[in-house]
Amino acid sequence: MKLKMSLVGITITLLLVGCAKKELTPGVTDTEILIGNIQDLSGPMKELGYLLPAGANLYFQYINDQGGIYGRKIRMLVEDHQYNPQKAVAAAKKLIEKDQVFCLYQVIGTSTSEAIIPILEEYKIPLVAPATQSGTMSRPLRRYIFQTDTGYDKQMNVLIDYILRQDKNARIGLIYQDDNYGANALKGAAEAEARHKITLQKESYQRGASDFSGQVGNLMKGGATHVIIAGIVREPIIIMKTAAAMGYRPQFLGLSPTMDHRVAIAAGPAGEGYIAANFAPLWNSDAPGPVLYRKLHDKYADPKTLPLGMYSYYGFATATVLVEALKNAGKDLTRASFLQALNSLDYKGGSFPDFKWTRTNHGSSGKVVLVQVKNGKQVEISDWLD
Amino acid sequence: MKGRYEDEKLFWIPVLIAAVFLLPFLLKGMTNSYRYYLYVLNIAGIYMILTVGLDLLSGYTGLISLGHAAFFAIGAYLSAILVDQGGLPFELSLIIAPLLTGLFGLVIGFPALRLEGMYLGLATMGFGFIVKRMIIALRQWTQGSNGLQVSSPHIFGFTFRNDWDNYFLIYTGVVLTVVIARRMVRSKLGRAFMAIRDSERAAEAVGIRLAKYKMISFFISGVFAGFAGVLFAHTSHFISTDHFDILLSVYFIIMILVGGVGSIYGAVLGALFIVLLDNLAIPLFKDWLQTFITVEAGDIQSLIFGLIMFLFIIFQPTGLYGLWLKVRIYWKLFPFNPRKRFS
Repeated sequence: MKLKMSLVGITITLLLVGCAKKELTPGVTDTEILIGNIQDLSGPMKELGYLLPAGANLYFQYINDQGGIYGRKIRMLVEDHQYNPQKAVAAAKKLIEKDQVFCLYQVIGTSTSEAIIPILEEYKIPLVAPATQSGTMSRPLRRYIFQTDTGYDKQMNVLIDYILRQDKNARIGLIYQDDNYGANALKGAAEAEARHKITLQKESYQRGASDFSGQVGNLMKGGATHVIIAGIVREPIIIMKTAAAMGYRPQFLGLSPTMDHRVAIAAGPAGEGYIAANFAPLWNSDAPGPVLYRKLHDKYADPKTLPLGMYSYYGFATATVLVEALKNAGKDLTRASFLQALNSLDYKGGSFPDFKWTRTNHGSSGKVVLVQVKNGKQVEISDWLD
Repeated sequence: MKGRYEDEKLFWIPVLIAAVFLLPFLLKGMTNSYRYYLYVLNIAGIYMILTVGLDLLSGYTGLISLGHAAFFAIGAYLSAILVDQGGLPFELSLIIAPLLTGLFGLVIGFPALRLEGMYLGLATMGFGFIVKRMIIALRQWTQGSNGLQVSSPHIFGFTFRNDWDNYFLIYTGVVLTVVIARRMVRSKLGRAFMAIRDSERAAEAVGIRLAKYKMISFFISGVFAGFAGVLFAHTSHFISTDHFDILLSVYFIIMILVGGVGSIYGAVLGALFIVLLDNLAIPLFKDWLQTFITVEAGDIQSLIFGLIMFLFIIFQPTGLYGLWLKVRIYWKLFPFNPRKRFS
């Protein structure tokens, strides 16, 4: 009997100990913070998918080597959504429910990020730095989304202003991806059209397209002197090569996703002079963020598998923002304290232009810098513009 | 062929239904992540409704469709637009949107009267592409390729807010679908479908009007797909054209092939098997594989699905349900098993 009672006693004690040890905040233990990231690892944008988390891990490793944040090391789980919103929902639920991550970070894509908004609201879980520059991420205000990047709509405004400053009589053409990325670019184009009383010649393409001769031919016929490309990496390369083959040489410009060094490399002579908007300092510039990025890349990365470039820099840069907010949330890390830290983050880390998040503004600085390909290399050619 | 299986014991059906509705409570007791598993089961449930409809068309009537993702999309978008923009109560949309989707089934049923086999497959595939483009073009209502946020299901004052609530809604739909489909295939309608599948000429000779029944089959299949689409739109809260592509139509075909073509329970099993494989087994397999090589779930998914379909067609053409029947008969006759029958 005594034995039985003591067994019951031991069981109850163990259960109580078990319950007491049970963490209160998902994804946070005394030694670890678990972060969830959703990328396109095997879909149409897989050439970017692995670069972003790899760049972020450079900084996480750096922080972890210094002992982490209040003794907690950062660990990031990466799920694959193949650029399918439904799979993004499944991945988010898996990360939140099954893996019990503390927060979501850098989910790539506009429609994929929008698809998980109801989940963020249901679980009251923040998404820091979605990997899309669509202005719809922070305007109107999304309670649980915190955006580091300048919107496509603002970028369009800056690019058109820039073109018209250079050439008052410029005829501007636009090639855009016919989805919500393109829609946000069109919104900016419409604002600039109204302001300058001009009309852009607009040509669309479907995501995944690899033939742009129709669009380029139309712009050539329309006599566009400047062509803005709202594409990603592959599109500007093909478009500029197609134009060169057709003997058409307008000034090409592009939104931030086209600001990849591979555009400069792959487009060759056709891409010389290409100008792209960038929402962060150029990865090879002397700003403090890029300098630290290259130092950490030297220290931790294998250049064969992780080349230096915009997308891994982007991952790194957003990681600095996430870490700063985690630090500001203090030792007793909960989702509530983290949200409070995000809502009052005054970022001066140097990896992005300075910005401030408040309860009513989760958007970026709204600034971009222009980057041009000169002799096959990218260089910044402007100050921060807005 | 079906007659052989008519010795079913109906006693098991209420037990099975009770088990379906008790499962969430069991899961809740077992794991903290039960809501994720319920979500996966919900997706499976929605696909079950659709594959049962697809099975009526492909398995029973012998008409192939590579455009079922399009019917699914039509149901989803119609309901999202009717409820959120037209102010139609969800209860009504649950009936009206599937019926309207069924009308689209009739439209695609017309060419089916003249096309057979692969050509019908191509026509339905084309239908899928057209629907996707139409959804993008009608951006005034559908918001084009931006995707559409959709409200939660709301029935007689009760709002289904999360995966737990949705489970009961979706599986009520599954049970209804299965009961209706079972009833259908055992009626004059079902017999006409099967007669057409087995031989169109023979069917015509005994007085079955091919045109009428083929159209009915497309209509019914469209209604089921539309019903699944309505549930999908309102329980996942976000729909976009990216999801409803040709690959999804192919997955539906894989589901009924794996489950067993021409058996309602097979369609249910197939959908469950593929969704569990996709969401639970492949990620585990990927983690294990990643200890050797760098590989992504998406990359091995197509490989595994292709392999499974290949293996099923060669070794188990009657699917999971056929396998279950074999096992059952095997035990029933044990130890007097005529070896030939199970080879």
